[in-house]
Amino acid sequence: MNSILKYPLLLFLGSLILQSCEKTDALNSSDDSNSNASVYFYKPLNFLDPVYDFSKNPVTKEGFELGKALFNDPLLSRDNTIACSECHNQSYAFTHHGHPLSHGIEGKVGLRNAPPIQNTAWQKEFFWDGGVGDLDLFPIAPIENPVEMDEKLGNVLEKLKKTSRYPNLFKSAFGTDEINTQRFLKALSQFMNSLISDNSKYDKVMRHQGEVFTLDEKAGYDLFNAKCASCHQGALFTDQSYRNNGLPINEQLNDKGRFRITENSTDLYKFKVPSLRNVELTAPYMHDGRFFTLDDVLNHYSRGVVQSETLDPILSKGISLSEEEKRKIILFLKTLTDKEFIRNTKFSN
Amino acid sequence: MKNILWIFISITFLLGACKNESIEPIDPSIKNNVTLEFSNMVGTQSLILDNSTYQNSSAESFSVSKLNYFISNVSFKNIAGTTVNLSDQYFLVKQNDANSLLPILKDVPSGDYTEISFTIGVDSVKSVSPVEQRTGVLDPASYGDDNMYWSWNSGYIFFKLEGTSPSAINVATPNKFQYHVGGFGGRTSATANNLRRITLALPQIIHVRKSISPSVHLIADISKVFSGTNPVKLANSAVIMSPALALPISSNYANMFSVDHIHE
Repeated sequence: MNSILKYPLLLFLGSLILQSCEKTDALNSSDDSNSNASVYFYKPLNFLDPVYDFSKNPVTKEGFELGKALFNDPLLSRDNTIACSECHNQSYAFTHHGHPLSHGIEGKVGLRNAPPIQNTAWQKEFFWDGGVGDLDLFPIAPIENPVEMDEKLGNVLEKLKKTSRYPNLFKSAFGTDEINTQRFLKALSQFMNSLISDNSKYDKVMRHQGEVFTLDEKAGYDLFNAKCASCHQGALFTDQSYRNNGLPINEQLNDKGRFRITENSTDLYKFKVPSLRNVELTAPYMHDGRFFTLDDVLNHYSRGVVQSETLDPILSKGISLSEEEKRKIILFLKTLTDKEFIRNTKFSN
Repeated sequence: MKNILWIFISITFLLGACKNESIEPIDPSIKNNVTLEFSNMVGTQSLILDNSTYQNSSAESFSVSKLNYFISNVSFKNIAGTTVNLSDQYFLVKQNDANSLLPILKDVPSGDYTEISFTIGVDSVKSVSPVEQRTGVLDPASYGDDNMYWSWNSGYIFFKLEGTSPSAINVATPNKFQYHVGGFGGRTSATANNLRRITLALPQIIHVRKSISPSVHLIADISKVFSGTNPVKLANSAVIMSPALALPISSNYANMFSVDHIHE
């Protein structure tokens, strides 16, 4: 009797220890585990702690696979023609290559440029205006936006239930074949949270993994730190604030940015500072994709900033940049390109 | 004569027995349901969707095609002045869904209550809650074409009134008006707050007991949406979906409810 009691207790303790080991590994992975295909979420050494609450939705292989299937499935759109991956293409760091504004079903054109989907677990708020504060609630917006997928969330769930494929995928991921809002959204979060870009040359330089900057890249890095990093700061290259960076107003779109959410006049024309990871791949740039090259972007800051009431004070005189300085900054920005991320077959459909 | 006397005595006795039985002692561990019965009206007329025409306080005629609102955080005050909160019970009242007009509050402790309070809308805590908590009427997948959730500016539409009016000048949809009121005060930045708390004295004490699950019959007078401290004219604003612009509407509809009577 005694031994029977002891045995499960030992097993239980053993599994606790194993579990905690696994968790530590996943959260404090070195470069070795970055390439380990069985680990779906980890914290890169040069990143801060994620803001996403993984206790409510840990990433599992099955949840990731379900999320990936959903991400790539045009069934999420009203006419079954457009998947999330249409505007968030892995080859371009999950952006809509070459499109200033995102395209929806039936050739409809959206209001804004599709941002990359990467390092979502570290993002506090989503969209250019921060209208959604929880990754789990994010996908409802593109699904229901009349100029994007123009579908109803409830109808997506009904369509999924009628397939032969999805009930099984939901069962693998969540234990039963029930398809509901929570599971659908959590699976998508699991996939998105796995899209970690942390293997650029910059990362390897920072982690002392054998890579070194060229002299020009180093000069660009120093210039970047002096002239750009107050907004594009930290390992994510954004302070996640909302700022008016002095773009001339596009009257046709009349996009008032953060003001759409807060309706506070001090937020007029402010947009979220975007991450610069993979910026070489994510053209065109700005919330409305008006700039097709990084030269255009730097030229804007050096000579195109327009004064207005909500212009960020830091940009009141623009940013003084010589042509040589711009060239070096762009060389540095290209060290943020993460080829392993865009070629990782784990993320591919 | 003897018979009549007996009948009289029996009736008196029976009535007395009934009355004594109906007032059980209060045992707060015993809980029961309270039904809220919502009658949506326009002034003194019942609200009839689509086919009836009404007039607002600015003498504008209008018809109503849709009326939905969330009711949450109902509380009752008992005769001792103590408040009983029935949190985590959310109701979506929809004029086109007869069942939704009779939301049932569960687990109301036994007691004698003199006052009811409730929120029109979904409180700020629930408005930013994780997706696990968004079930039932809070499930964003549950609305179909009659959406009560803003996905791009995450939050619920607390109150929705739509219809037609010759006064509604709206280039996109002539003669149509749409009032969608939301805004819980903002998640990380302060934004307009259209949550409104309603407190109404009950016309008589309601008793909740093991054997009594009363109904509170409430009237919502839609004409009040347009009148009040900030009159809203269809001619000036046919479409309102911005929380800041909806502040006069929520201030007005905060005064549209009254308790008509109680059933026990």
